[in-house]
Amino acid sequence: MNADKTYIAFNNIHKHYNRRPILMGASMELKGGVCKLLTGPNGSGKSTLLQICAGLEKPDQGELSLGVGMIPWKRCRRSLLEKIVYLHQHPYMFEGSVIKNLAYALPGDITYKERLRRIEKGLEWAGLTPIANTRAKSLSGGEKQRVALARAWLRNPAVLLLDEPTASMDQVARQRTLDLIKRLKQDGIALLIASHDPMHFINETDQCLVLKQGVIHEESPSDWNLHNITPIQRDQEINYGAS
Amino acid sequence: MESLISTTLSAIALLLKADPDLWNIIAISFQVSGFALFIAAPPALLTAFFLAYGRFPGRRMLISIFSTLLSVPAVVVGLTFYLLLSRQGPLGDLKLLFTQWAMIIGQIALCFPILVSMGHSSLQAADKRAWETARTLGARPLGALMTVMYEVRFGLFAALLAGFGRIIAEVGASMMLGGNILNYTRNIPTAIALETSKGEFIQGIALGLVLIFMAFGLNILLHHVQGKGEVAS
Repeated sequence: MNADKTYIAFNNIHKHYNRRPILMGASMELKGGVCKLLTGPNGSGKSTLLQICAGLEKPDQGELSLGVGMIPWKRCRRSLLEKIVYLHQHPYMFEGSVIKNLAYALPGDITYKERLRRIEKGLEWAGLTPIANTRAKSLSGGEKQRVALARAWLRNPAVLLLDEPTASMDQVARQRTLDLIKRLKQDGIALLIASHDPMHFINETDQCLVLKQGVIHEESPSDWNLHNITPIQRDQEINYGAS
Repeated sequence: MESLISTTLSAIALLLKADPDLWNIIAISFQVSGFALFIAAPPALLTAFFLAYGRFPGRRMLISIFSTLLSVPAVVVGLTFYLLLSRQGPLGDLKLLFTQWAMIIGQIALCFPILVSMGHSSLQAADKRAWETARTLGARPLGALMTVMYEVRFGLFAALLAGFGRIIAEVGASMMLGGNILNYTRNIPTAIALETSKGEFIQGIALGLVLIFMAFGLNILLHHVQGKGEVAS
């Protein structure tokens, strides 16, 4: 898969929960090697949008383009599941060791030797070698996130969707996670990071998307840098710079 | 009290003596119930999975129906299948009545709702992220299903044990559908009922002990596979 040539556009995504509208025509584009930041207040529908993009949640309505023309979401679900990996805010670890968790992301038709080689590569990539045989469920939040990123990297996706990837992490764990995200971007993977605390990702971000009242508005990260203020803070009329 | 102790000791002696009739009854019981569980488990667990993860009209009604079926007495299940399998019944031509197959059918009907209800409870309690993570990492629906089932394997194992416990100890359906024929359809509960009615308590107690030891053994096995039985740290 040539991730650099990745292009996926989602158009007019609608979603209701219990008759409450969550998404009302959200649209966006994802490109290989480009990192986009999706922000918005809690409950604005960021996770729902990410899950719809990953093919895990059905929209009420919506279409997407994988390069040529718009196709209804329903007809592309399998493609989405093949091309896109979604990472939960608190990644789920399967029962077993870190090695077993990494092995889950590998295709079934490779040799045992190749399997071992790729697992070793994944462990090294995320700095997980010292805890390779540890039970994954017993790891700390930061370590779990690194296992999840290594799993995603081994899957070689065109697009990676990250839901609050550094939530409730200390400074060290956050920095290690950010380093891995940076390397994923360098590998040419299209990244979409959902966060309600976007300042952590500002250095990696090429474009900011603000999800407001079910619709996405595009913004430039340079504006945020300039004023040192996030869209949520701005909306709440908190002058971050003055405090 | 003395009589109870002496009868129990005689029952243990009978078990240890390897009485062929007695052990044949035990073998038939395990064979019939094991086979019934083996046939019922895959579709029941699949049904449980669809009830837990599927979103379709009538799902809640189906869950209620399976929960209701849990409390249907074995004798009613036996009567229903007796009517279906008897010569005048719609399935009379199959000539299954008073065969081990008839007992297996009855026992499948008895353990199916248990497997579905308990399986559903376990799968419903499973972390939704397990399914989503498996799918996003490339697992096909069947592969993701197996992953989720592995994640809740202890609950599913408990469901299998409960189902097996229910059918190996039931008397009503086996008696009506199997006919209690020696060396063919006589199993532990029907033999206990017969021997007790004849006043032959020794064999009844011996067979009862087998059921108690089996229940004890299965529970030890369950605790063993579950771990230490403590809250995970």
